[in-house]
Amino acid sequence: MERNSNDVPGLLSRMPDNTAFKQQRLPAWRSHLTAWAVLPGFFTTGAFFLGMGILLILSAKSVKEIEITYTSMCSNCAKLRENASNFYKECTCSVPFFIPEKMPGNVYMYYKLHNFYQNLRRYTISRNNRQLLGEDITNVENCAPFQRDSNGIPIAPCGAIANSMFNDTILLSYYPHSSTRINVPLLSSGITWWTDKHIKFQNPRSNNLPSAFTGTTKPPYWRKPVYQLDPENPENNGFLNNDFIVWMRVAALPTFKKLYRRIHRTGPFANGLPAGNYSFDIAYNFPVTVFKGEKGVVLSTVTWSGGSNLFLGIAYLTTGAVIWLAAFSMTAVHLKMKKRNIVSES
Amino acid sequence: MFLFQNNRIHTSKYNVLTFLPINLFEQFQRVANAYFLFLLILQLIPEISSLSWFTTIVPLVLVLTITAVKDATDDYFRHKSDNQVNNRLSEVLINGRLQSEKWMNVMAGDIIKLENNQFVAADLLLLSSSEPHGLCYIETAELDGETNLKVRHALPVTSELGTDISRLAKFDGVVACEPPNNKLDKFTGDLSWKDNKYPLNNEKIILRGCVLRNTSWCFGMVIFAGPDTKLMQNSGKTKFKRTSIDRLMNTLVLWIFGFLVCMGIILAIGNSIWEHQVGDYFRAFLFQDEVVKNSIFSGFLTFWSYIIILNTVVPISLYVSVEVIRLGHSYFINWDRKMYYSKKETLAEARTTTLNEELGQIEYVFSDKTGTLTQNIMTFNKCSINGKTYGILNQRSVILQEFSHNKKNSKFQFYDHSLVESIKLGDPKVHEFFRLLALCHTVMPEEKNEGKLIYQVQSPDEGALVTAARNFGFIFKSRTPETITVEEMGKVVTYQLLAFLDFNNIRKRMSVIGTNDTFEFGGEGLRTLAIAYRDLNEEYFKEWFKLLEEANREFDKRDECIAAAYEEIEKDMMLLGATAIEDKLQDGVIETIASLSLANIKIWVLTGDKQETAMNIGYSCNMLTDDMNEVFIISGHSAAEVWEELKKAKEILFGRSTGFTNGYAFCEKLQELKRGSTVEESVTGDYALIINGHSLGHALEANLQSEFLEIACICKTVICCRVTPLQKAQVVELVKEYRKAVTLAIGDGANDISMIKSAHIGVGISGQEGMQAVLASDYSFAQFRYLQRLLLVHGRWSYFRMCKFLCYFFYKNFAFTLVHFWFGFFCGFSAQTVYDQWFITLFNIVYTSLPILAMGIFDQDVSEQNSMDYPNLYRPGQLNLLFNKSKFFICIAHGVYTSFALFFIPYGVFYNLAGEDGKHIADYQSFAVTIATSLVIVVSVQIALDTSYWTVINHVFIWGSVATYFSILFTMHSDGIFDVFPNQFPFVGNARHSLTQKNIWLVILLTTVVSVMPVIAFRFIKVDLYPTLSDQIRQLQKVQDKARPLKSHRRQPRRTSSRRSGYAFAHQEGYGELITSGKNMRVKNLHPTSGLGKTMYNSTSWIENLCKKTTDTVNSFSLDRTVKL
Repeated sequence: MERNSNDVPGLLSRMPDNTAFKQQRLPAWRSHLTAWAVLPGFFTTGAFFLGMGILLILSAKSVKEIEITYTSMCSNCAKLRENASNFYKECTCSVPFFIPEKMPGNVYMYYKLHNFYQNLRRYTISRNNRQLLGEDITNVENCAPFQRDSNGIPIAPCGAIANSMFNDTILLSYYPHSSTRINVPLLSSGITWWTDKHIKFQNPRSNNLPSAFTGTTKPPYWRKPVYQLDPENPENNGFLNNDFIVWMRVAALPTFKKLYRRIHRTGPFANGLPAGNYSFDIAYNFPVTVFKGEKGVVLSTVTWSGGSNLFLGIAYLTTGAVIWLAAFSMTAVHLKMKKRNIVSES
Repeated sequence: MFLFQNNRIHTSKYNVLTFLPINLFEQFQRVANAYFLFLLILQLIPEISSLSWFTTIVPLVLVLTITAVKDATDDYFRHKSDNQVNNRLSEVLINGRLQSEKWMNVMAGDIIKLENNQFVAADLLLLSSSEPHGLCYIETAELDGETNLKVRHALPVTSELGTDISRLAKFDGVVACEPPNNKLDKFTGDLSWKDNKYPLNNEKIILRGCVLRNTSWCFGMVIFAGPDTKLMQNSGKTKFKRTSIDRLMNTLVLWIFGFLVCMGIILAIGNSIWEHQVGDYFRAFLFQDEVVKNSIFSGFLTFWSYIIILNTVVPISLYVSVEVIRLGHSYFINWDRKMYYSKKETLAEARTTTLNEELGQIEYVFSDKTGTLTQNIMTFNKCSINGKTYGILNQRSVILQEFSHNKKNSKFQFYDHSLVESIKLGDPKVHEFFRLLALCHTVMPEEKNEGKLIYQVQSPDEGALVTAARNFGFIFKSRTPETITVEEMGKVVTYQLLAFLDFNNIRKRMSVIGTNDTFEFGGEGLRTLAIAYRDLNEEYFKEWFKLLEEANREFDKRDECIAAAYEEIEKDMMLLGATAIEDKLQDGVIETIASLSLANIKIWVLTGDKQETAMNIGYSCNMLTDDMNEVFIISGHSAAEVWEELKKAKEILFGRSTGFTNGYAFCEKLQELKRGSTVEESVTGDYALIINGHSLGHALEANLQSEFLEIACICKTVICCRVTPLQKAQVVELVKEYRKAVTLAIGDGANDISMIKSAHIGVGISGQEGMQAVLASDYSFAQFRYLQRLLLVHGRWSYFRMCKFLCYFFYKNFAFTLVHFWFGFFCGFSAQTVYDQWFITLFNIVYTSLPILAMGIFDQDVSEQNSMDYPNLYRPGQLNLLFNKSKFFICIAHGVYTSFALFFIPYGVFYNLAGEDGKHIADYQSFAVTIATSLVIVVSVQIALDTSYWTVINHVFIWGSVATYFSILFTMHSDGIFDVFPNQFPFVGNARHSLTQKNIWLVILLTTVVSVMPVIAFRFIKVDLYPTLSDQIRQLQKVQDKARPLKSHRRQPRRTSSRRSGYAFAHQEGYGELITSGKNMRVKNLHPTSGLGKTMYNSTSWIENLCKKTTDTVNSFSLDRTVKL
């Protein structure tokens, strides 16, 4: 490369600008781990964590929770469901249980599945949000392998998630006396996220739900088409069915519980569930034994931090303790070093 | 058939059409890019695609675009300069007329007219010129960096053509020559013209890139044009240098790939087992009509899926970020005012932007001497006349001597009044002394307007002597081939020149024999020059002259005979005195060397100069001191002698007990050296090694090099003198290879290029000897002393920042990625990602890129002042302490730990979680958002901890990144974006539901504290128990900042008792022959002024460039300080 011969040593000095940025002199705060910052920080954090841990444990303990796994209790039903040919056979099962202490306030009823991998990659992607928006119900893209039935009719709702929807019905009965039985009133409303119910899921626009779904067929594992999910409440049908919406929000882990019903606080249950004898009457439809799974029902109250969660409290308590331990040893080390430094300096 | 090229040159790589394909092709040749392309292809296979294509393509496109833009900009400038060069005009003889033509249209065979100071357009055969005998002068600085003028002469037959256009137009000679090549100093061919054949050599050729000087015009015929020219043939690809961090990074990236494959295999095996034990039944339940897959095949697919997911352990942004950081550091070097040399308006320049952190790891500095340590400006400093010494004896009582009686050069300084007194008193010896100085040289005078006399010198030493004589009243006025005119104390005297015994390296002296007073001048060719004379009577001279003529006629042993003749006359001389020319040390050299030695950087001086000069410089810059235990001088001429000398040195070093290995045990020795033997530490005391070029040649032979290296490395100072450029490179290579040390070579001349190129880092001093060294260098600046700042401040910071950056980067990506690995155990190894795909796409390029870049570019552990004041701070870089394999494993372990906390704390909580309103929040999406938010907060807190210098930029970037994360999160989870792309953004409403739960925030807080607290604790304990120097200085700085504004506490470099100066003299053959032949004299000035004629004539410009240099030299005397005691 040839040099430009007329580089005039110009009047413009080539001296770099004297700016703080260019000269790397930007005003700055130099961070430094001094004992005065670190040690009090550790003690404070430790104290906060210890306090928070105790608080969390206490509130977790205050939560009343009852969990009943009914797979083994309903073993005959479970057996029946292992054979796919019994698909349309009904099987009910009653599970009696005892609540030793009153469950005050709002009581929530969950179903719980063990060993059910809702988080499998191919499972989680097997859905179509556009179809669930009701805009284009024949859009079954991404729903493999449940896009269309053997006749090529698109499935609505398509995909593996929808197909495998939990379909047991669970009723709760209260026995104030051995002879009296009161059906505990259950609400299926208010169990979904607002955004799910109002934005993510929409029924196709039509006066008549069944006609809106013409041209589609039900998922193969379903007994009823999507517009007949709730025979009692016509609003709770189609893609806007609460149980469906809850199911479609896939769980993170292979053991999970999902909100099934809320206890309607009326009559004897105005203040929650009184102590006493209860039973679940379960229409056992959902097969779990084929994949070595289990299912159960959970009744639980909540506190400020949600349901019973001992883990968080214990974790906070442990962390707090460890931080304090660290803080004490660091203080010891620091004081010793300081002494040594003073000695060596003098 | 040879195809002639036209003169258009292309240094650009692309044009508009070819840019995209060629640039992409080049980019995908890089392993990293190709790897990501491969990943992209994997992602397009639906069976294994665990991530959407955009997670890879977005960063990949970003990276490719940044690189492409950079390449395009570079190429644009190349186009621009090509165009500029191609469109230069030159006068071409077309159809018998001279016409202006663009360079690019010049063809081989064209005849071109060049004018003074013009660049030569193509490789030309010189036909004729304005100067007598068809001479012309060219400057070849662009080609080889040499700034002295070179002479080219045309063939006598062609020089007769002169400026006769019609005859030139008819010129129909045919040149047969070698094919185009890159040898600048060789040309073979012949010219056939008018039935005669004339041999051609390099003397007849003017190469493209040269500049015509001192010749008002010349004609030449184009032999090679455009890409065939030697200049273009020489512009090869520069050797690509990599830093040791680069190499380490590549190794680590390979390891990480290995690790990635291992994780993939573990998860694939897990998948096979899971499929076999659980999945078979479960899948049958979920996907009833699917063909049941082989679990092993499923594992195979899972392997690839996990490779895709986990590839973020080696994120593509790593390479880009590293480049950006280095670029930032390079700009800081360019912008540094403290490395700006105002006298020459020279900026420090990082010419290579990819080596910065290596500046923080230098262990060996190989320095040239002349022009690097010294100014390459010769000053007449001392003289001894008739046994009396004049000059600086005691600088503490300096009298600035103004030479009032001679205002020719008022800036000249000489510190001794007594000399002026003796001249005024007319001491004959003193007069004789200066007369000799004014007469015996090869300087060409040039009278500019207003009687300003300018000397054109070939070596600066001569210039200094003649200028000194002139300043003492003996003004060299002019010369012809037969006479020399001198104005002696106002009286003009012309001497007849009888014989001229030019300087050469063997005799190391030069003589001028003239009439009037018959005199002779001889000098021992040192930078200290002895001046002697001898009165010759006429008979003796005539006799001797006959002898010389006979010698000249001799054919076989001509040189020897001439030497004998010279020897004959140059004897029995009267010693008159001696001059001392000093090549002054540059400012701050002593301090710089002292400081670099304190930083444990070993400085080896490699010089082409002679031993005495080199040693003097060694003493004057405190590399050699009188209190050294021993200075070993190796100057043997044969391998055996060198062996003997090395053996002796070794015996002194280790005592006699240590045997000296012979060549056979050499291999073991080298192995030992490679392992980094600790013998060095066992030797106490200061030693120095001085080795001569010819000895070095032997010492570098295979069987001695280990011994040489061993001894050299123990010595505090190593000076190699009389070394060739090749040897300079060999020494560097030797140290590079066997010491595994990072080397830096610094020099200013063309002879330093080889070592500049072979060292890890080459630094060019933009000094007196042209730009060649600078062009080959990685960094350049104007003064040696800036090396201190370059290494101790910029280098140290760069290394420190880069190490911190890498540590954090690997940590961050492991923490980020390994969460997928843990999750694999809970999702049936199904290659489910933990995070939203958008998060994966943006994490490295948006959420966490800027804070780490800010740290990598701006962080400072200690201030620049402290970096300079405590050279020991440089140690960690040399020992490679801040980032090495074990550090890497610590970072990785930190990352793994963090990922563990990031996954298992939410896992424990989500295992049985219900929202405050009883609603289900243990869903996959909430889990993803929780972990992602924790991750962003944890890595932000971590970068906040790592940042030790919080500027505004750091604040903005760190807080900004967290803010950006949340705003993007809420945007992507918003209703609006879901309505448009429901399948792409399925997380609608998630942020607003999960991030309003106290539980989730408790999880995030716990995760952050658990991830970060141990780090703080470890760092605190480490600083408390084993504080590094930098920790201590930080502490000190903190205390000082509080107490009072920072006060400088510069350490004074140690002074030594003895003071010596470096004196220099050039070792080239002189121009004597040219002068006496009269070839370089103008014809009109050759009119006889025989005998004592006292004519003065004005010779116009001789070598303009050199002339400027001379005046510069003289002018800067007063500005530059001499080395002070």
